[in-house]
Amino acid sequence: MKKINLLNFEREIKEKIKKAQSLKELDEIFKEAFGKDGKIKKISKIIPTLPKEKRKIVGQQFGKVKEALIQVFNAKAEELRAKAEKETEEKEWIDVTIPPPKPLVGHYHPLTLVRRKIEEIFQSMGFEVVEGPEIEDEWHNFDALNIPPDHPARDVLSLGKTFYLKGGGIMRSHTSSVQIRYMEKTHPPLRIIVPGRVFRLDAIDASHEIDFWQLEGLMVGKDISVANFKAIIEEFLKRFFEKEIKIRLRPSYFPFTEPSFEVDISCVLCNGKGCQVCKNSGWLECAGAGMVHPQVYKNCGLDPRDWQGFAFGFGINRLAMLKYKILDIRLFNSGDLRFLSQF
Amino acid sequence: MKFFFEWVQSYFDKKLPDPEKLAEILTMHSFEVERIERVKRGFVLDIDVLPNRADCYSHFGIAREISTILNFKLKTEQWRLKEDKKVKTKELVSLNVISGCQRYTGRIIFDVKVGESPSWIKERLEACGIKPINNVVDITNYVMLELGQPLHAFDFEKIERGKIIVRFAKKGEKILTLDDEEYELDKDILVIADAKKPIAIAGIKGGKESGISENTKIILLESANFHPVAIRRASIKLDLKTDASIRFSHGLDPNLTEVAINRAAYLISKFCRGKIAKGTIDYYPKKVFPRKIKLEVQKVESLLGIKISKEKILKILKNLGFKVSPNFIVEVPTFRRDIAIQEDLIEEIGRIYGYANIERKFPTVSLIPPRKNPEIFWENFTKDVLISLGFTEVYNYSFLSKEDIENFGFEREAIEIENPASAFYQFLRPSLLPNLIKNIQKNQSEFKEIRIFEIGKIFKIKKEKTEKKALAGVILGDKFLEAKGIIDTLFKKMGIPNFYFDFYQPVPQESKISIWKIKKSAEIKINSENVGFLGEISREILEKYRIKDKVVAFDLDFEKLSRLASEEHEYEPFSPYPAIVRDISVLVPKNVLVEEVMNVIEESAGNLIRDIDLFDIYEEIEEERKSLAFHIVFQLKEKAISPEEVEEAFQKIIKNLEKNPNWEVRKK
Repeated sequence: MKKINLLNFEREIKEKIKKAQSLKELDEIFKEAFGKDGKIKKISKIIPTLPKEKRKIVGQQFGKVKEALIQVFNAKAEELRAKAEKETEEKEWIDVTIPPPKPLVGHYHPLTLVRRKIEEIFQSMGFEVVEGPEIEDEWHNFDALNIPPDHPARDVLSLGKTFYLKGGGIMRSHTSSVQIRYMEKTHPPLRIIVPGRVFRLDAIDASHEIDFWQLEGLMVGKDISVANFKAIIEEFLKRFFEKEIKIRLRPSYFPFTEPSFEVDISCVLCNGKGCQVCKNSGWLECAGAGMVHPQVYKNCGLDPRDWQGFAFGFGINRLAMLKYKILDIRLFNSGDLRFLSQF
Repeated sequence: MKFFFEWVQSYFDKKLPDPEKLAEILTMHSFEVERIERVKRGFVLDIDVLPNRADCYSHFGIAREISTILNFKLKTEQWRLKEDKKVKTKELVSLNVISGCQRYTGRIIFDVKVGESPSWIKERLEACGIKPINNVVDITNYVMLELGQPLHAFDFEKIERGKIIVRFAKKGEKILTLDDEEYELDKDILVIADAKKPIAIAGIKGGKESGISENTKIILLESANFHPVAIRRASIKLDLKTDASIRFSHGLDPNLTEVAINRAAYLISKFCRGKIAKGTIDYYPKKVFPRKIKLEVQKVESLLGIKISKEKILKILKNLGFKVSPNFIVEVPTFRRDIAIQEDLIEEIGRIYGYANIERKFPTVSLIPPRKNPEIFWENFTKDVLISLGFTEVYNYSFLSKEDIENFGFEREAIEIENPASAFYQFLRPSLLPNLIKNIQKNQSEFKEIRIFEIGKIFKIKKEKTEKKALAGVILGDKFLEAKGIIDTLFKKMGIPNFYFDFYQPVPQESKISIWKIKKSAEIKINSENVGFLGEISREILEKYRIKDKVVAFDLDFEKLSRLASEEHEYEPFSPYPAIVRDISVLVPKNVLVEEVMNVIEESAGNLIRDIDLFDIYEEIEEERKSLAFHIVFQLKEKAISPEEVEEAFQKIIKNLEKNPNWEVRKK
């Protein structure tokens, strides 16, 4: 008959459990105690051999020991599992400097971005955005704007510069044609801007295009003045470039405005200190403008004694070039994704 | 145009501001000074005189302008013409003006000694970029730079029978000019002719034969006012621009010819020892007188937006050489041909007063919010959707080359440019696709994934020339279904109802045949109206543009879309009850359309089905059949659907599908 010391056994196992460092170790101990050839098995084989009265007591005791051990095992296992999890969690990391896979993102064309900004600013000042045809007739592109045939101004806008279509018609050389189209239909007072493509016959290079964008503006009322023009245009430029911009008006000549001026802005790149882009003058030529010529009202069927107002024209490509520091105008029509994917 | 600073200074006793300062003053009040150049004896200002101010194409004109701005008194040289009483110009020259001329003034100077000019004349000419030739020619040029009137000197003895005729040339006439160039003339070229032949191209360049040589003894000085249009046309036609033609084409004061010819005669008599014959020949049938314009002071203030005193206005106008009556009737001297209406006077007042002195002031207008432009709204909306779907926006040229037109078969609809910038830009684009395909060609080596689109005008000739806003996009790769999904998303977002994709039934002779792979293309329709096209680009096109991968494209009529689009959108409550999803896999012959199968499912249990979702198509190449797998989502809005109901419906679907003997539902 083998002697069983249940208490010793319990103490021994508990001691081992306590010292166990890993789940694996704990598992070994568990097998040692509860395994096929484990001590529990052995004990349970011994118990039936015990004398009857002892058997009952030892049996009960044995049950308690088993239960207690399982509890300790479970507790330890839980403890070790938590520890192991914490350890692996601490080992897990990611190299945040890894360049990520690139999601497929679309890009707006810079001229769209600039147009939206322009349209938003002018709309907030009550200007309606209007469009007009790109194929024009000579009346709307020239004559109605007080540029009769053989006028010297056609040297700039026409002949050498305008595209003529076979079988008649021209490609508009400026968005000013829409001034006429709008005023033919709409009675003042009015405030419009016209963003649109214009076409000029030219040799294409870094600063000349044959197919580019202009922004026309027109505001007509009973007493719209040069002072009003200065306020509107300065406000626009300030908001567009998001900084203080100085403007100056220089006398100029356009057949469809009187008085006429060029609008210069303080160079947005050097803030007027002088740089390559402004040719050290501190100023950039930015727009042509003026007070609508009485003949233009007449040509739209309006009485020039009733109305006065201003008109202006910007190059949208030029505004985009200044805003994004683009030095070559050809990039806009290039379709080059190396360029477009930057916007 | 070049102006010699020291020459301008000679019109003033007072010292002018230094060249840089003067340049700024002129830029802000009159004309932009583009450059200041240092020359041997001073500075040259390159001034961009405005095209309507031919009165300032002269040193005296610029000085007059400066005197007005700075309020400096002008000093004029005193000189007197001494004529020879015995010889009369009128008796020597016979003048016949036929056309193209408002005024023609001529003078004979004899016993002239042709030689070198005094050095001060040469200096002034050289500073302004004119090469000295001999004293007679130099003086004509000098007076042009001084007063703005181009002059010409003929060797009178070379003029056949002393006859001067101003007329348009006849076809076949030729002239050898002073610089040894021969020009063929025609009826658009105004000439000065003698009894036999043209001796000068009027207002542009003199002829060699009648030119001044060292042997010239008698000269005929010409100071004329030719029609600007005639000179401009001839100058463009001959591609010949000269200092004279520039001045004439901008229009000169006819009253200037006399002053200028006398000034030149005086200088020739002084520096070439010439004797001036008595009188002139002068053709001047319609004398030009000063204009009178009524000025309303109130309009000055209203247009400029400033308060300005009557005294100030008066002073500015008087400084400009205008006469002003007490009730502001302004008399404009004839040299200011640009001043015709009140607004012209207001411009003068504004610029001399200084635009810089006009304070900015916001207009006071009624608070009418701007009307919304629906086309621009939908254009922006479309761009937002496509860009969120990974597309990049391009702006391409509105032009195509002849080669592109031929490649795409657009010959009959494309509009040709009369004067293209180059062969690359010979036609207007009748479609956005060619340039988009060229964008792929250009970018394919750098980018694996390309999705681009453009919204822009396309141009076609039908009965008339038409332009339309179009939307087109291309995707690189075999991605028909993806493209279809994009159109589907876009249209749904735009609120376009009832659109569908239909097989393309080509009509013979359509240009589309060469562009699209017919069997992999669909027409996009709304209420059986065609709104666009979706499909794979044909192999031929891709080969022509050296694109290896497949390309899927869509091409839509954007104007139709923006008319059909709608912002109205109503929320539809979703079912609070759970959905039950059952999958079904059907084997059908390859030619069966997915839509047919879906219709059977739909019809079998439509009222219980919320959605049928195709999640797999499997086609074995040799097999005759394909396998279609669907998720069928069962859900009701009013109540929870029971598994039994679903099972019943599902069995009905299977039964109906298998009614077709060639269809088979795969049982798991």
